[in-house]
Amino acid sequence: MIPAMLRFSKFVAATIIFISLFAFVKDPARIQNDITFKFPYKEAGLTERQAAAHLLNRFSFGPTPQLVDEVVKTGLEKWFMQQLDGKIPDEALQKRLSAYDALNLSNTEANKLFPRPIDVLRMAREDGVIPKDSATDEERKLYKKELAAYVKEKNFRRQPELYRQFIAAKILRATYSNNQLQEVMTDFWFNHFNVSLTKRDCAMFIPAFERDVIRPNATGKFEELLIATAKSPAMLMYLDNFNSAATADETNDERMKRRLQKLSESMDDSAKAQMMQRLQQRRKNQGLNENYAREVMELHTLGVDGGYSQSDVTNAAKILTGWTIYPFENSVGKGIRNVIEKMDETQLKNNGFIHEGDFLFAMNRHDKAEKTVLGKKFVAGAGYEEGIALLKMLAHHPSTAMFISKKLAARFVTDEPPVTLVQKMAKTFTEKEGDIRQVLITMVSSKEFWDKSAMREKTKSPFELVISTVRALNADVQQPYQLFNWMDKMGQKIYYFQAPTGFPDRAQYWINTGALLNRMNFGLAIAANQVRGVKTNLLDLNNHHEPESAGDALVTYGKIMMPERDLTATIKRLSPMLTQPLLKPDVGNAAGKTGSIKEPKQISDESLVEDAMKENEGNNNENMQGGADKTNMMAQVVGIIIGSPEFQRR
Amino acid sequence: MTSRRAFIKSGGLALFGIGFGGVPAFVAKAAAVKKMSRLYKKNKILVCIFQRGAMDGLMAVPLFNDAYLKSARPSLFMSAAKDTKTAPVIDLDGTFGLHPNMKSLEPLFRSKQLAIVHGVGSPNNTRSHFDAQDYMESGTPFTKSTDTGWLNRASGLLGHDGSPFRAVSLTNSMPRSFYGYNPSIAISNLQDFALQMKSNPLAANATAKSFEDLYDQASSGLLKQTGKETFDAVKMLDNLDTKNYTPANGAEYPASPLGNALKQIAQLIKLDIGLEIGFAESGGWDTHYNQGTENGTFGRNILDFSNSIAAFWTDLGSLQDDVTLMTMTEFGRTVKQNGSGGTDHGRGSCGFILGNDVSGGKVHGIVHPLAIENLEDGRDLAVTTDFRAVFSEVADRHLNINNDAVLFPGWEGKKPGVMR
Repeated sequence: MIPAMLRFSKFVAATIIFISLFAFVKDPARIQNDITFKFPYKEAGLTERQAAAHLLNRFSFGPTPQLVDEVVKTGLEKWFMQQLDGKIPDEALQKRLSAYDALNLSNTEANKLFPRPIDVLRMAREDGVIPKDSATDEERKLYKKELAAYVKEKNFRRQPELYRQFIAAKILRATYSNNQLQEVMTDFWFNHFNVSLTKRDCAMFIPAFERDVIRPNATGKFEELLIATAKSPAMLMYLDNFNSAATADETNDERMKRRLQKLSESMDDSAKAQMMQRLQQRRKNQGLNENYAREVMELHTLGVDGGYSQSDVTNAAKILTGWTIYPFENSVGKGIRNVIEKMDETQLKNNGFIHEGDFLFAMNRHDKAEKTVLGKKFVAGAGYEEGIALLKMLAHHPSTAMFISKKLAARFVTDEPPVTLVQKMAKTFTEKEGDIRQVLITMVSSKEFWDKSAMREKTKSPFELVISTVRALNADVQQPYQLFNWMDKMGQKIYYFQAPTGFPDRAQYWINTGALLNRMNFGLAIAANQVRGVKTNLLDLNNHHEPESAGDALVTYGKIMMPERDLTATIKRLSPMLTQPLLKPDVGNAAGKTGSIKEPKQISDESLVEDAMKENEGNNNENMQGGADKTNMMAQVVGIIIGSPEFQRR
Repeated sequence: MTSRRAFIKSGGLALFGIGFGGVPAFVAKAAAVKKMSRLYKKNKILVCIFQRGAMDGLMAVPLFNDAYLKSARPSLFMSAAKDTKTAPVIDLDGTFGLHPNMKSLEPLFRSKQLAIVHGVGSPNNTRSHFDAQDYMESGTPFTKSTDTGWLNRASGLLGHDGSPFRAVSLTNSMPRSFYGYNPSIAISNLQDFALQMKSNPLAANATAKSFEDLYDQASSGLLKQTGKETFDAVKMLDNLDTKNYTPANGAEYPASPLGNALKQIAQLIKLDIGLEIGFAESGGWDTHYNQGTENGTFGRNILDFSNSIAAFWTDLGSLQDDVTLMTMTEFGRTVKQNGSGGTDHGRGSCGFILGNDVSGGKVHGIVHPLAIENLEDGRDLAVTTDFRAVFSEVADRHLNINNDAVLFPGWEGKKPGVMR
């Protein structure tokens, strides 16, 4: 018996090893075998190519004909699984990102390299570089010079540089990443858990917030994502929980007030001021701040109609008292530093403190009474674990399942998604314990996702317009920040949205006259290679074939830029203009212009060779002038495509 | 009421020419002479200036006889006495004064067009610029999640879905006050409101026509409608020459961001193209260091501020009846000066309201004599007037919108009487 069992277990073990080896080596095959769902696009009357284009319009920052080919070749379902896994090599992207040196800094490192101006000033004072009180103009001049020298000596860099790099990286990732769905979901969750560069105190922590908190959890479990955001310095600072503490002990407060009363009778101003200041300080350090507790329910989990009361908010805030930032050297958290410096890590632990990376649970600030939230009792004195239990409860609440599902559906299906769809997704959310990837699979497997009414129904945000443009044009983005400026002009200053709601995900919000005009201007500028640091080559894009006419260009580039889209209406509408001399520069004028270029003194050897080559290429009767006209014509046609109503939609 | 759409239907826009971007000069001139008026119903206009950084209300409008203030600000206190080194504070009413660099606004105070509210601020005592501005601009001082700005909601309450220029912010980015679903424009230079065809100016007309036709047939109602409004708007501004604009009545705007912004707002008002809410910003008020007196940081800033507003008002001339200008700042500054010749974040500040229906010539609000027990937290000028009370009254009396439930949800309070 025993040898038989041994043999059997050996066999099992060997089989397991074999299977896992097989799975390891033949990874794609494993994915194929794991696919238990089928996208019902045929039922909706879509061809495979149309469906692929739709999928790309939803889960990438813009389709290209090559990508449609690729998705069809891979198989839609399999492509989706690969994207959910997000492990496709990204060398080209990494190469572009390697030009930026601040992308991988921890918060501590960023804080050292890019200190806040206020901290620089304080350090300079502490180091005796500038006088403590520098009030007169003379002293001020001195202090400016000294300060500059100090900054240089310490190698401090300006914070805006950190943010520029961060913004550039986002644009590059969205443009070039092969793992598009990961970028789309990162964008979605960042906006859901919005923090803003406009709030200076939290700005420094935002790059790490996206990199370490949002991106790794973008297709994971909602609960983990929620807890990670709750503990991140960016969120703790942005919604003020970092200094939320148990309300001042009433009796103590009363005692101070009585002393103040006495003092005010005595007319001793300095003593009064001192007492007032102490009272103020106490209140500052010992006050409940409900901001985070409210928003975590209203915006992050339950939704505004999620069924919570003001008392739930207050109690949740009490539970989260003491959730703060571990102090940074020479920066935030000076108050708490005095407390924790008196203890080593073991003592901290024994006293109920929790130190995890940048997060600190400060037991001394925690409200130790019993609390009740949404009918659930939180037993007194459980410290940090109360907060974890609260966040878990919120993450798995039925209102959260509905709220998150609806928001996902609004992003990926239509602004007002069908209730039937949201319910299906919420059911998965609940059954799979907030597994985001499963919720997405349910969504894409639903008939609502593929319904004709959902096709091209989403209006691109400015970010989506810009990125889908550079992707469609296969542009070489050397200076991503220039694109950020265009997005700002169109109404989306990414990372600077001030309110914790994040940018609204509705067409109505994005489309207004000023914004629309800038969308058209953006199209015209980028197609004509007039966005600095972004190079496009329209001839390359069409395999070096020059379109025969404006009409031809419209059809050709329309297909390249909006694969599988029905453009009959657009083309029909424009065709009268395309055959008229409207899209051609006035012949007389153009001739004059070209003529001036031909002046001998302006011709260098290089351009002579170029001219010769062009003339050699020029079949039919085309001359240089024709070539220049064509370039202009193509740029104009492509500019119009980008600014067209059709291209604003996805 | 003649809505713009009705007007377009009646063919009025033909004035702007058939072509796009190519309005013949004589047409433009004719239009200018007729002031292009009656495109819209004549609206009331509210112009707001946000002073970012927290203006020291006690330096702009000081209690110039207050012994406490004098002792608390040894190097910042300014007296009304004529024999001091610096220019004397302008005595407004025996208690309050105006910073000497605000003298261009003095006549407006005397003529009762300018009102001041002192001790104005937020009921939320945050001293963070970010939070305080956020609360003031959203109009909900205890709610972070309000995703719209109060001026955007005001625009919605006005309910005129006519002009694309009904709410314009002369800033690069959309200010928090303008966040929302009612159409608004943020643009720092009106001249940029055009199709830009630097690469191929010859093709500008054709390109514009292409866009116009495409949007005209757009299947999305939103894109179609907005497209139409966009092209109308471009045509409206087509003959606006911001570079060679000559302000009326000899008005001289400072060559500063605020001066430029107000100058362009005046141009929009004169064009009569439906502006209802204008917005501009003024920065540099966070005077922690070397605040100075007459010629310091604050002094230079308040000079630019006052002269910009005065020029704007002069430029408006007979249009003043339609316009009310209101200033705001997130909070005030400490009564006591700090160790580096400046002031730190405080609570109450003051606001200025200018207009012909303003209860002017008065310093409104409650300011108790400065003494430690009267100060908020023992250090700051107390907030005795909720900013919403002022904003709400101005919106109510000037723009005729009095729906506080929408404008300032959760607020119910008394209006301070700054409007007549």
